[in-house]
Amino acid sequence: METIKNYLETMFMNLPNTPEVYKAKQELLQMMEDKYQELKKEGKTENEAIGIVISEFGNLDEIAKDLGIENSVQQSVPEGQRFSLEEVKEYIADMSRAATGIALGVFLLITSFVGSIIFEGLTSVGADKDIMEMVGTLCMFVMWAAGIGLIIYTNIRSSKWDKINHENYVTDFTTTDYIQKQWEVYKQNYATTKTLGVALCILSVVPAIISDAFNNEIVSDYMGGAGLFILVGIGVFLLITGSKRKNIYMRLLSLNDPKSVGGKYTVDQKKYNQPKNPVVRALLSVYWPTIVCIYLIYSFLTFNWHISWVIFVIAGVIKMFLDNLEGEE
Amino acid sequence: MGISSDVIRGYNDTMILYLLQNAPSYGYEISKQIRQLSDEKYVIKETTLYSAFNRMEKNGYIESFAGENPENGKKRTYYRITEAGRVYYQEKCEEWNLTKEVVEKFIAEEFAVGAN
Repeated sequence: METIKNYLETMFMNLPNTPEVYKAKQELLQMMEDKYQELKKEGKTENEAIGIVISEFGNLDEIAKDLGIENSVQQSVPEGQRFSLEEVKEYIADMSRAATGIALGVFLLITSFVGSIIFEGLTSVGADKDIMEMVGTLCMFVMWAAGIGLIIYTNIRSSKWDKINHENYVTDFTTTDYIQKQWEVYKQNYATTKTLGVALCILSVVPAIISDAFNNEIVSDYMGGAGLFILVGIGVFLLITGSKRKNIYMRLLSLNDPKSVGGKYTVDQKKYNQPKNPVVRALLSVYWPTIVCIYLIYSFLTFNWHISWVIFVIAGVIKMFLDNLEGEE
Repeated sequence: MGISSDVIRGYNDTMILYLLQNAPSYGYEISKQIRQLSDEKYVIKETTLYSAFNRMEKNGYIESFAGENPENGKKRTYYRITEAGRVYYQEKCEEWNLTKEVVEKFIAEEFAVGAN
């Protein structure tokens, strides 16, 4: 089905974004979707169905006269404004590298305190306090420099692609299809990366809990803290690479968007999971702020900080439940 | 031998109006019925069909309205014939009878239907 949408989108790529054009696109998509579904039901394979639908689509010249867009159909996008398949491949490779670079930079910044913590810990087994403090601080600054440097360097390296944000680029059918397929491949990976990232952030307290159980002072006082930063660092690293790499595909797929071309027809196919009941909607919009207030008030009143964070976990589960409840209607 | 799209173009309207006579319908359904009724000899292209809908709606022969696809609840455009459309359909039928009568006089006997 994505292939058909991409095909249609490419056909409409050069057309102005008028209500007539939008309507024509919607109608044609409906017909093609219906035909595709029926062919699939008849037992045709995905490729066969797509082939038939596309071969029986016809020619846009035919409707151009009706839509008052004869001139636009003849016009083609200037060659330079087209984002070619090679460029797309290069863009994906460069931006993936940039994602890793930025994420690594942030990782270095987050874990920069680990050095100080460990070296401070060593003082309790007899190391010289002044030297340990100095080495720890030095270590922190080196990591800051490396992290910030890496982020700046990566940004400069990837700035050569800024042009796609400032100029009107479009991708053609095969290229769009390629991006779509690449995104499908990466999607699985993205889900795993994101889950792992969140899990690590949540589990970051585990080293502290475990090391508390040891009687050894270094382990119990310092390793927990160091472990927390390292786990959070890795978690955030995964979250950043994941979302940045996802954005690469989203950015490319949004090139043929409503502002530049014949309107993205997928807009009104999207279902927004907004509750119908206005009261519920209003309540849900202040859901998280309320939870934060409850958390803070409860924690400050009782000083049960060690356990009060559970509120967020419970609130998350309740929210998911509410969303599903509303979504099913 | 395939059908010439130049010739049939003038009668796409007739086919669509014929299919709308009894009940409203939608794009794919109509294209499917045209294919079936013509014994698969004529497959109407999506763009041709849309062009016909669009033109006839402007001329007031058909009206469109939003309906729902009962299978997945998605929006779908349905078309119904208007009074003007029925009058136009009748005219087109008469026009075809005349056309057929005239053209047939020029079809040599050995090529006529049933000659071989």
